Amino acid sequence: MSIIKKLALVVVSLSLVAVSSVSSAKPFSPKKPVELIIPAGQGGGADEIARLVQGVIEKNDYASKPVIPINKSGGSGGEAMTYVKKKAGDEHTLIITLNNVLTTPVNQPELGIDFFNDFTPLARLITDTFLVWIATEGKNTAGVETFDDFIDLAKGNGLVMGGTGSMSEDELLLGMMRGQFGFDAKYVPYSGGGAVAKGLVGGESDFTLNNPSEQMGFYQSGDSKALVMMTPERNPAFPEVPSSYELGYPDLEYYMMRAFMAPAGIDAEVEKYYTGLLHTVYHDDEFQTFNIDDGKLMSWLEGFGLKDFLAIEYAKHGEIIKNFN
Amino acid sequence: METVGFLLDGIFTSLQWFNLALLIFGCLIGLFVGAMPGLGSVNGVAILIPITFIIPPTAAIIFLAAVYYGAMYGGAISSVMLGIPGASTAVATVFDGRPLAVKGEAMTALTAAAVGSFVGGTVSVILFTLFAPPLAEVALRFNAPETFALMVMAFATFVGLGGDDVPKTIFSILIGLALSTIGLDLITGKPRLIFFNIPGFLHGINFLVLAIGIYGIGEMLWTLEETKGKVQMSKLSVNMKEVGRAFGALKKTIMAMNIGSFLGFFVGILPAAGATPASLMSYGITKQLSKNSKEFGEGVPAGVVAPECANNSASTGSMLPMLTLGIPGSPTTAILLGGMILWGLTPGPLLFTQEPEFVWGLIGSLYIANFFTLVLNIALIPAFLMVLRIPFAILAPVIFVLCVTGGYAPTQSLHDVWLMLLFGFAGYILRKLDYPVAPAVLSIVLGPLAEKALRQSLILSDGSMGIFFDVSEKPIAAVIMYIAIVLLIMPAFGPLYRRLFKKKQTA
Repeated sequence: MSIIKKLALVVVSLSLVAVSSVSSAKPFSPKKPVELIIPAGQGGGADEIARLVQGVIEKNDYASKPVIPINKSGGSGGEAMTYVKKKAGDEHTLIITLNNVLTTPVNQPELGIDFFNDFTPLARLITDTFLVWIATEGKNTAGVETFDDFIDLAKGNGLVMGGTGSMSEDELLLGMMRGQFGFDAKYVPYSGGGAVAKGLVGGESDFTLNNPSEQMGFYQSGDSKALVMMTPERNPAFPEVPSSYELGYPDLEYYMMRAFMAPAGIDAEVEKYYTGLLHTVYHDDEFQTFNIDDGKLMSWLEGFGLKDFLAIEYAKHGEIIKNFN
Repeated sequence: METVGFLLDGIFTSLQWFNLALLIFGCLIGLFVGAMPGLGSVNGVAILIPITFIIPPTAAIIFLAAVYYGAMYGGAISSVMLGIPGASTAVATVFDGRPLAVKGEAMTALTAAAVGSFVGGTVSVILFTLFAPPLAEVALRFNAPETFALMVMAFATFVGLGGDDVPKTIFSILIGLALSTIGLDLITGKPRLIFFNIPGFLHGINFLVLAIGIYGIGEMLWTLEETKGKVQMSKLSVNMKEVGRAFGALKKTIMAMNIGSFLGFFVGILPAAGATPASLMSYGITKQLSKNSKEFGEGVPAGVVAPECANNSASTGSMLPMLTLGIPGSPTTAILLGGMILWGLTPGPLLFTQEPEFVWGLIGSLYIANFFTLVLNIALIPAFLMVLRIPFAILAPVIFVLCVTGGYAPTQSLHDVWLMLLFGFAGYILRKLDYPVAPAVLSIVLGPLAEKALRQSLILSDGSMGIFFDVSEKPIAAVIMYIAIVLLIMPAFGPLYRRLFKKKQTA
């Protein structure tokens, strides 16, 4: 980012501060460290973004108090969501989302989570996508070069797929693929995307549907390879991996949203503060570079746009779950 | 030869004055967070990560690794002096460290802890230097069935842990296992055993809550009853003779050092295990294999050396999958991993070739950090011993406060403080009835790991237990499993064997 842009940003944020200080006598700022709840294990995609956000905030002093990431990986996000639900009105708690926040309330009605009323959506920063991964030296997938090879193989044989937990994104995707391509696989849940990636390269599973960053280390070393990326276009971070549209499977399109929410019942001032903080992070040079290099799509969304988006995604996931069962 | 060159470079990197200053500073912070109940290496490293953004990555990892390391040493201090585990990694140190201190041999316990830590740390960093890439391969091949077999082995060694009363030990293990199932189901994510719908049970029972309750509160009640409040610790003198005696006692602990170093390192490199299970397993196996295993738990130096050696060794080991596979081997390395990503490094198979300065700087610093923590610890022993001169009437409330904060800190919920008090009373009663409590502590740590590995394996095998015994398909898992079975039945046949043997002698 050029200096002028940076300056402009400073001016904008200053004026934002000025405006908010006019509209209310005391603009909100955190009075103690802010808990950032991660509904997934350490080393996965959400964990990485959460820690990146923490780092960017700390390094540049964007907030008056530190942000502390806390992993609550139990129950496909159930533990984290229950925790945040109980924190209604708490001004020092945030949660980063995986798509499991859309599926867990439906799959686990006994938790009593109401997605639309128990949280205050703040902003979406990134959308992440999925790829079909196999190990370069996978013993059951030897000779598979393309996604079509893979489908043919998977149809005849019960392959093992490593995933991030019962009814999480990748298991739903497996359900989608089962409907579209007519193959099924044995689903083995691990704790977090990092462990899933290791399970593939270690030969325990035959394929995975990891996010780009989760396989990045193994991809760069040539231990794993991707067959298709579930987006309309290729991604510059994986130039040789075809998109699903290119291969003629436009229905195979799926995104993971990296958004942030606060508990329900917080003041508008507080909501504004955190949205502003996230916006600053979003425009940070380091944050941008890191995510683009990592194959992610930068996609800021807030306010009503975000609420609409969440409503549509929630409905879409409800549909996928219905077809899955 | 190439390795030697890299290593020397690394050691010189960490001896640069800036890096060295950070290293010593890190060790001191580590000692402190390790010694404070409720604050462990995880918290220490997490709190300090932001500081590292203003210094170069190599200096940053040297600093944080020193904190991690120092905390492994520090945990032993409160375990020995107060009987409260300073960190989860030092729980097993309480088993024998505390009785030693009560007997008036705190000096021996602290020396054993420091030297054990030094040996474990050094052996593991040498293993790391020599075999990192092939060991990464082992870690990669170590999947669900292998993990489960290892867990069975750990439980098998603990059946012998509670002395000869096998039924009481098994009862204690089962209590721990039952407590470990509370919370959310690992595979389906459904809540289970949420008593009275109290939400605090959703996050399960934190193992530190149990450990601090049983050892902190339970121990305090026990001491109160035994002494009616008039605790007289035996006289302590710190002179060269004492120091000599303390080092002399270490001669008998060579086996414990070997087991702790190698087992600790091996458990450390396995993803998701880490230093806590390593120290508990090392204690169990050392006890099982020791000639005087009956004395364990009553205060033997080997009982301190085994876990302390293992937790340092494992903490080095857990950096291996972090660097080479990008997978954390322990909760602390998970935080370090986050730090590495933020410093602009991609952990993975290419890190060694792409960032040699960083990797070898870290490895070199571990040698240096080990040396400095040993010196610091031995030098500070007289200061730690002052704690024992404090009258019990003052010390007891301090211990109580430390227990409460230690129980509260990890999850920040009062629910856990009440639970801790409850476990304290329960632990006291169990002790009165002569039930061993250490096995319960072990099983609440290993229970979730074992359950997950078991269920993953059974999904892979379509429900067949054969997956654990198939030598041709899963050789590692099968071999560990058979060893585990032998270890399991050994205590049952032990008395029989001894009786037969004795008969022969008298005949």
